[in-house]
Amino acid sequence: MTSLRYNRTNRFILYSALLLCSVMFVLPLFLTLSNSLSPWFDTPDFLPRAFEIENYRFAVTMIDFWKFAKNSVFLCLITVTTTTLSSGLVGYAFSRIDAPGKKVLFMIVLSTMMLPGIVTQIPTYILFHKYGLLNTFYPWLIWGLGGSSFFIFLYRQFFSVIPKELEEAARIDGCSIFRTYWNIFLPLSLPVVATVSIMTFQGAWGDFISPFMFLNEAKYPLATALSTIGYVYERSVIIQQVAAAASILFMLPVIATFFLGQRFLIEGVVTSGIKG
Amino acid sequence: MQHRSKLTRWKERGSLRFPFFLLMKGVDLIRTERSRRTLAFYLMVSPWVVVFAFFGLYPLFYGLYLSFTNFIGFNIDRLRLVGLQNYKNVFSDTDAIYSLGRTIYIAIVYVPIGTAVGLLLALLLNRSIRGMGIYRTIFYLPSIVPLVSVGLMFRFLYADKDGIINTILKFFHLPALNWLGYDYATLSLVIMLVWGAGGGILINLAGLKGISRDYYEASSIDGASSFQKFFRITLPLMTPVIFFNLIMGFIGALQMYIQPILLTGTRLLDPPIRPNYFYAVHAFQQVFAFQRFAYGMALLWIMFVVILLLTILIFTTSRYWVHYETDQEG
Repeated sequence: MTSLRYNRTNRFILYSALLLCSVMFVLPLFLTLSNSLSPWFDTPDFLPRAFEIENYRFAVTMIDFWKFAKNSVFLCLITVTTTTLSSGLVGYAFSRIDAPGKKVLFMIVLSTMMLPGIVTQIPTYILFHKYGLLNTFYPWLIWGLGGSSFFIFLYRQFFSVIPKELEEAARIDGCSIFRTYWNIFLPLSLPVVATVSIMTFQGAWGDFISPFMFLNEAKYPLATALSTIGYVYERSVIIQQVAAAASILFMLPVIATFFLGQRFLIEGVVTSGIKG
Repeated sequence: MQHRSKLTRWKERGSLRFPFFLLMKGVDLIRTERSRRTLAFYLMVSPWVVVFAFFGLYPLFYGLYLSFTNFIGFNIDRLRLVGLQNYKNVFSDTDAIYSLGRTIYIAIVYVPIGTAVGLLLALLLNRSIRGMGIYRTIFYLPSIVPLVSVGLMFRFLYADKDGIINTILKFFHLPALNWLGYDYATLSLVIMLVWGAGGGILINLAGLKGISRDYYEASSIDGASSFQKFFRITLPLMTPVIFFNLIMGFIGALQMYIQPILLTGTRLLDPPIRPNYFYAVHAFQQVFAFQRFAYGMALLWIMFVVILLLTILIFTTSRYWVHYETDQEG
């Protein structure tokens, strides 16, 4: 595909295709942004007829926005730190330490990716209810400590290209297995660590179903709050413009982390990716 | 200084870096290298194993058990086994059958489109020209936007009276459509899903980058056209990736329930409009709106078994049509 020269027509077709796709992908985001700056109940247009930055103030005051945001941050903090470290540890064991039963266990890890979440979520709800874990943040801590099978896989792929000599040198110097992971492998694996933490953050930030099932409204993160509590005027009419502003505010952290880490994200997946 | 506690001394030796390190100290005491490594391996994977056992396997089979009981929300202490009754009910539940039909329909319509779009976008991006990084970012961006926002955005875009899409249609003197109404709701959902299909780009790009440039150079020398290159080189060598995307797409589509619910309204317990009333939505409704836990679990376990069978089927038949690189070496 990467032929060395393009003639003019080919180049024109290529750039038009790229441009057209870009417009299609950006348009909904742009229209939402424009909607969020329009006066209430205005007919939407490409560009807002006024510049109602006030909508953003309403977005954070009409509901208890900051409280929900705080819950979101807390949930993400728990999930990201535990998942990133724990998955790395398990991935390291799978890539570097030989033990009987390893292959079978790894097949099990991979096959859990196929397990539909909702099949375990509902019984989990009943069990949590039984054991008094509902409306606490402990489940997120426990899930995080267990790591995630996809990230374990990603770490394993990444670690398996690190040369064996490094490990042997460390062992000769008297490094324990765990210290080899902590002091040598993790620092060498910043791209994959960044990829995993960003993807975990984005997943935790956007997840609204688990909090909806396992928490009460006071502990809802922003995602659940925005999908259950609307911005309404006189109890029934949804104010599109304010809701759009809230949704822009809500996706900002995700988009920001994406731009910050996209070099890692894309290279992390493309290079360590599916090969192997 | 002489009152240094044991804790401080440990800290100075660096043993408190991480509690796990203390455990590993114990591992060092075991004599043979082999059993030491085995123990270390199992210690290190134990977080995953323990959590999976208690928070994955246990709920999974507890759910299976519940599907054979009469659990309806408040009688957890007085459960009675009812045998296959819940499963029998599924087949006489017209809503379940209807929703299953809609699920299969959306899977057949959306999955090939989504997979093809992911591949085509990756093909478009797999070139070394200037500004490609920017396009890649733009194509990928929608797939990271949180679903809550996606649902909200598209609900407003599609709105009947003051939605922007209808405003644009009117501008071009085209008839406005009721996008979220009975006739177009599924189409609207597919458009929303395809908008986020850019997530498949990465995996496709990784696959495309894995194809050696030698093939293309050799075929250029032999005078192959771009079409021939695509159908004779790119497509055959990409089949493992396409195949992976198709399976994951089907599995995702069969259990889809969040997107149609979000496209419907602000309340998560509102049922979506009929054409988007999918199987998993039905199960979700039974459990959370009507407290019919046992019946909901029966519905979900049927789905689970179907997904499992489908996965096995696709995997076992794949060797007939998937082209792996090693096949052609001999």
